[in-house]
Amino acid sequence: MVLEEEIPTFAAWFGPALLTFLLTAALVILFVGLAAWVVQAVRDGPLAAGDRVYRGVLTGLQDLAGTSPRRVWALARLAIKEALRRNVLVVLGVFGLVILFAGWFLDPATVDPGRLYLGFILAATSFLVCTVTLVLAVFSLPADIKSKAIQTVTTKPVRTGEIVLGRFLGFAVVGTLLLGIMGLAGWGFVVRSVQHSHEIASLDVREVRDEEGGLTGFEGRTGPGRGHRHFLRLDAEGNGVAETFHGHRHPVTAQSQDGQLVFEVGSPAGILEARRPLRGTLRFLDREGRPAAKGISVGAEWAYRQYIEGGTAAAAIWTFEGVGEDEFPDGLPLEMTVRVFRTYKGTITEGIHGTVQLRNPSTQLRSEAFPIVAREFTIDELWIPRQLNTVLADGGVREADLYTDFVSDGRVEVWLQCLEPAQYYGVAQADFYLRAGDGSFAINYAKSCLGAWFAMLIVTAMGVMFSTFLSAPVALVSSLAVLLIGQFREFIARLFTSQVTGDASIAPGGGPIESLYRIVTQTSITLELDPTPAVQAMKLVDTVLLAPMRLAAGLFPSLATLGTGEFVAGGFDIPGDLLAAHAAETLAYVAAFCIAGAFCLRAREVAS
Amino acid sequence: MTPSNTAPAPSSDEVVIEARNLSKVYRDFWGRDKKAALKPLNLAVKKGEIFGLLGPNGSGKTTTLKLLLGLIFPTSGEAFVFGRPATDVAKNERIGYLPEESYLYKFLDAEETLDFYGRLFGMPPEERARRAAALIEMVGLGRDRKRQLREYSKGMTRRIGIAQALINDPELVLLDEPTSGLDPIGTREVKDLIIDLKQRGKTVVMCSHLLADVEDVCDRIAVLHQGELKELGRVEDLLRVTGVTQFQARDLAPAAYDAVRKVLAEHGASDIEIGHPRTTLEDLFLDVVRDTEARPGRRAQAAATPDKPAGA
Ligand SMILES: Nc1ncnc2c1ncn2[C@@H]1O[C@H](COP(=O)(O)OP(=O)(O)OP(=O)(O)O)[C@@H](O)[C@H]1O
Ligand SMILES: [Mg+2]
Repeated sequence: MVLEEEIPTFAAWFGPALLTFLLTAALVILFVGLAAWVVQAVRDGPLAAGDRVYRGVLTGLQDLAGTSPRRVWALARLAIKEALRRNVLVVLGVFGLVILFAGWFLDPATVDPGRLYLGFILAATSFLVCTVTLVLAVFSLPADIKSKAIQTVTTKPVRTGEIVLGRFLGFAVVGTLLLGIMGLAGWGFVVRSVQHSHEIASLDVREVRDEEGGLTGFEGRTGPGRGHRHFLRLDAEGNGVAETFHGHRHPVTAQSQDGQLVFEVGSPAGILEARRPLRGTLRFLDREGRPAAKGISVGAEWAYRQYIEGGTAAAAIWTFEGVGEDEFPDGLPLEMTVRVFRTYKGTITEGIHGTVQLRNPSTQLRSEAFPIVAREFTIDELWIPRQLNTVLADGGVREADLYTDFVSDGRVEVWLQCLEPAQYYGVAQADFYLRAGDGSFAINYAKSCLGAWFAMLIVTAMGVMFSTFLSAPVALVSSLAVLLIGQFREFIARLFTSQVTGDASIAPGGGPIESLYRIVTQTSITLELDPTPAVQAMKLVDTVLLAPMRLAAGLFPSLATLGTGEFVAGGFDIPGDLLAAHAAETLAYVAAFCIAGAFCLRAREVAS
Repeated sequence: MTPSNTAPAPSSDEVVIEARNLSKVYRDFWGRDKKAALKPLNLAVKKGEIFGLLGPNGSGKTTTLKLLLGLIFPTSGEAFVFGRPATDVAKNERIGYLPEESYLYKFLDAEETLDFYGRLFGMPPEERARRAAALIEMVGLGRDRKRQLREYSKGMTRRIGIAQALINDPELVLLDEPTSGLDPIGTREVKDLIIDLKQRGKTVVMCSHLLADVEDVCDRIAVLHQGELKELGRVEDLLRVTGVTQFQARDLAPAAYDAVRKVLAEHGASDIEIGHPRTTLEDLFLDVVRDTEARPGRRAQAAATPDKPAGA
């Protein structure tokens, strides 16, 4: 899977995130307060306006403090009833249709059906649930205001905050219910869809014998199933596997009945997994073997993967930390995704050959080279055993132990090199990892649904907030616009970081003025501009322009970053730190939207 | 009929509602004036009073009530309820409000409606159930308690609206045309209800176009015209026709008329009138319905007989 940035621990993430949140909130409050004051001042003079704004904020806060859970729940129940009596459950029928279509049109014979089905189902679930709750949230309050039913409610001892929170909670309950049902159905569908088996005809299997003619095992091929066949390898007792193909393998047992071999093929393994990787940091050596900041780029300058040239001293080196006997008692389970860039076609049906070596970061002792074949789009596994050979300076070979010889202070280096000249290997930091363990796939799937749940909560709160002062269609469009802008949030954040740190590689091309300058003068974005006073002034203006954009970007939730479907579909366990950060972010957005909604509704004459 | 002035009025000097120079100008989205709905109004309603707001359509009655409830914000001046600003939500604990039309959730049934509003007052479940049942019975919707409000007729909606306004046993009840859409029995029941509220020490502010209703129940009235207060005072005082005296007697033989006339003339009375008082249409209607309910079918024939004395 693609992992652009390292996932920070929750503790490391929380401080800066909280600071950004508080700063943004303070600025918004200041800005809105000022705007309210100006509007009032035009009408009634500055003093009366100041008094009114002050009292409005004060009583508003008092009202928030007086929020009663009972009333909130009463209003939430109302919202739930409203949703149910509007036949919102019809959406489950729509989801049923989606599953049917997925069953008909998604190709189960693809390389990675688990990924295909999971990605599709998770996206469909999230999309449907978010859409339904957004529409419910956006249409509810305006309908109440239009039918004036709100007047009968606000003349009861109800705070506007309770109305907003009640609406949010009610629709959130409905959304949770929908998500729960869809999540379960989707899970069942995916698990059933990837499930398959193979027939094995005894004609396809032959015995393997040693020189003395003793039976050592069997090998052969399975029959076709889901558009693929596996190679088969069994020991003399008839136990073995149908080897990994299309990302999975099957356990196979063979028994002799009436002189005939009868095979039993188990469920696919390795297909719906939740790997827990231990990731390292990546550096490169160039073709002369000198340290390089990055590898070679074979296309887009800022592409995710960097390339190393085959047949040279170029290498990609991962340094893993925290490697110990306790975690990996039997050896290192290395997993890797290696992309290939061919400058000539070669044997297209075969992968590109290369090696993986261990190296002690302190003593520089190297292990023997393990041969690998880059098979691109699948994850290749390489088991590095406890006992392995090391190449001595005089060319000799001696036995070595993984932990005593290659790991120092829990650190070990993994070197990747490509053997074929004029062919390239492409890798990114997240492509090599040690498989530290496995989580449960079901729990991982549930975690991903939790991500969809967060998105649903944010969307609902935002819809309710907009509906407190906009008519339903306008609120709907506004919500969609905010979500759209939210897609650029990460980019603006990176642009700002790049501007402040001066590190152009984070986001090349500079801020608005610099970009414009580059467009007009047709200067490539990769080219550093000479730091003349004019250029520096331009960069300063850009920073000043970007700062408020950076803060404002925080106002727009980015559902894409909340989505963790990529992890589940890619077969990786969703890190708890990421989930915790998403939960905190969701809480912040929901609280901010609800409070903003409460104030908007208060400031409004609901009866005119 | 129970004229209000014979009811024991628990008089008090405690001011429940106070309006000080309260005015409202409706504005459009851009803040431009659209309509001056209420000119500066000064008003005080005391505890235990039944106060009537009268005036032609569009004279600002509903606007006044909404200002008192904090549903809209005054352009100038202040409104106080129970001594607190009208925008203070806490006052709503002690208030019941019946809007001009019953603005309720159409997808709820009668019981759910009352249960919902009861919850908003934080009432415990048993009390909620008890009060809801009693109120539904009181407004005569016992048979329709499980039907969604979208199926209700206008008068039925009005009835559940009234029940909703009383769910919290409020100390102050604001009724905007409580009898609109109600049949005469309902009208009478509402009037009895208002008087009953007064006897229990509650304060009622109502507006109505049915002057007879206002006359029957209100202690004091204010007359608005184009947003301006034109008349304010006790109903008795406003309606008393000084200089005219009325007698009533039962079973007086027509032969005695002349004698009475003579006696009155001797005492210097002029413009003497003697005749049978007419009953009101309301009384006739009430009689017919009550009679029919007691003895189904009989009345239809009786009504066909011409000149049947009404109100018998
Ligand atoms: N939301 C509003 N926007 C603009 N003008 C309004 C609004 N509500 C009421 N008005 C105007 O204010 C004036 C007073 O209206 P109000 O509803 O208080 O009258 P009312 O005395 O209750 O009349 P009715 O007897 O018909 O109920 C009317 O001229 C009306 O058009
Ligand atoms: Mg009115």
